[in-house]
Amino acid sequence: MSEEIQQAIRIRAKELLKLGEVGCVIGFERGRQPAGTGRHPALARTRPAFVYDPADVDRLVWDQTCSQNLVVYLHPEAALGAAEKAHHRVGLVARPCDVRALNVLIHEGQVARDRVFVIGVACPGMSDGQEIQAQCRRCRERVPLFYDALVGKPPKAEVVVDAYADVTEFEALSAAERLAFWTGQFDRCIRCYACRQACPGCYCSECLAEQVDPAWLTIAHTVPQKAFFHVMRAYHLAGRCAECHACESACPMHLPLSLLNRMIAREVKALFGTVAGTDQQARPPLATFRRDEEWPI
Amino acid sequence: MDEEFEPKIIGFLCNWCSYAGADMTGTARIAYPANIRIIRVPCSGRVDPLFVLKALQGGADGVLVAGCHPGDCHYGDGNYHARRRLALMHRLLTFVGVEAGRLRIEWVSAAEGNRFAQVVTELTQQVKQLGPWTGLQS
Repeated sequence: MSEEIQQAIRIRAKELLKLGEVGCVIGFERGRQPAGTGRHPALARTRPAFVYDPADVDRLVWDQTCSQNLVVYLHPEAALGAAEKAHHRVGLVARPCDVRALNVLIHEGQVARDRVFVIGVACPGMSDGQEIQAQCRRCRERVPLFYDALVGKPPKAEVVVDAYADVTEFEALSAAERLAFWTGQFDRCIRCYACRQACPGCYCSECLAEQVDPAWLTIAHTVPQKAFFHVMRAYHLAGRCAECHACESACPMHLPLSLLNRMIAREVKALFGTVAGTDQQARPPLATFRRDEEWPI
Repeated sequence: MDEEFEPKIIGFLCNWCSYAGADMTGTARIAYPANIRIIRVPCSGRVDPLFVLKALQGGADGVLVAGCHPGDCHYGDGNYHARRRLALMHRLLTFVGVEAGRLRIEWVSAAEGNRFAQVVTELTQQVKQLGPWTGLQS
């Protein structure tokens, strides 16, 4: 499966670069860490790769450890290479969740659709080498919402009974238990902001966490500061989070960050009836309203 | 320390309806708990949902956000936006362990002095029962 996708990505990348359709293909390459180390012990690590030369396409790989969301490299402020800047278009290897994240950015006017050639991956789900990761087992999407080229054969989507079962389970705890859980989790945070850097939805040139005036946060390494940061980040992604799990994968402390995001995503769907990145026409749920809506607050 | 716990409640009141409603409570000589600390805002839509968390972390035990009734917003639709935002924030805060009763969103018009007193009384009692809020603080 992965072999097939990898081969198709290389062929497509070579063609695009040769024809000058794109100036750069953003995909994955094998990292230097050998198998037996890192988070996916059974597989050697992969890392983002920027391929400018058709002769280099064999650097590109794809397997089920390619869990980063490459859409972050399309942020207006992302450091783009000179060749990429000079060229109008880039090729981007994207899974279904990445494409929804991209859709959010397109909708918000951060990325022009025609700037990206989407090499959509029919996603078999991310794996740690042994089994498919939990977030991918919950996911129904196997084929991206849109793409310019599709690689891989769409695998059969598994039937997901309740994608938010873990959220509901957590909610069954008492308030004190929930507070104790999150206090413990936030306490472990080292404020490296890796979650924010890995997130396609976080593109503010000045993040609230670093804003000086008004200073919402201090630089203190304390629970209230870290709690505020994570609640703030989760809230700012309300109705925008594509649930790609990049934040949680990037977290060196393995905080269950996506639990917050997924709880909000569920509420956004229940209250406002929208799912992030699926509709390019509808206004973002928190930028609009209906006069006749009413919920218990 | 036998003293009864007196909660601190931060009230974000919109300038056009709820703040005037609170004024009405005063001019009508209606008594309500002095636990509420009022912050006047131009509109309930001005209330960044993060104010709620900030207040709770800054020593508040409860938060009230009050604005014009839906349809009555001075700016047309500020309270509709506030309604969506705060409904979501309320759920998020509950999820991280803040008791649901600590945050209340109400619509109070400039004529509803009685209602304002009632809302503040109810919220104060509710927060009193929940006890002091000490979570997510150092």
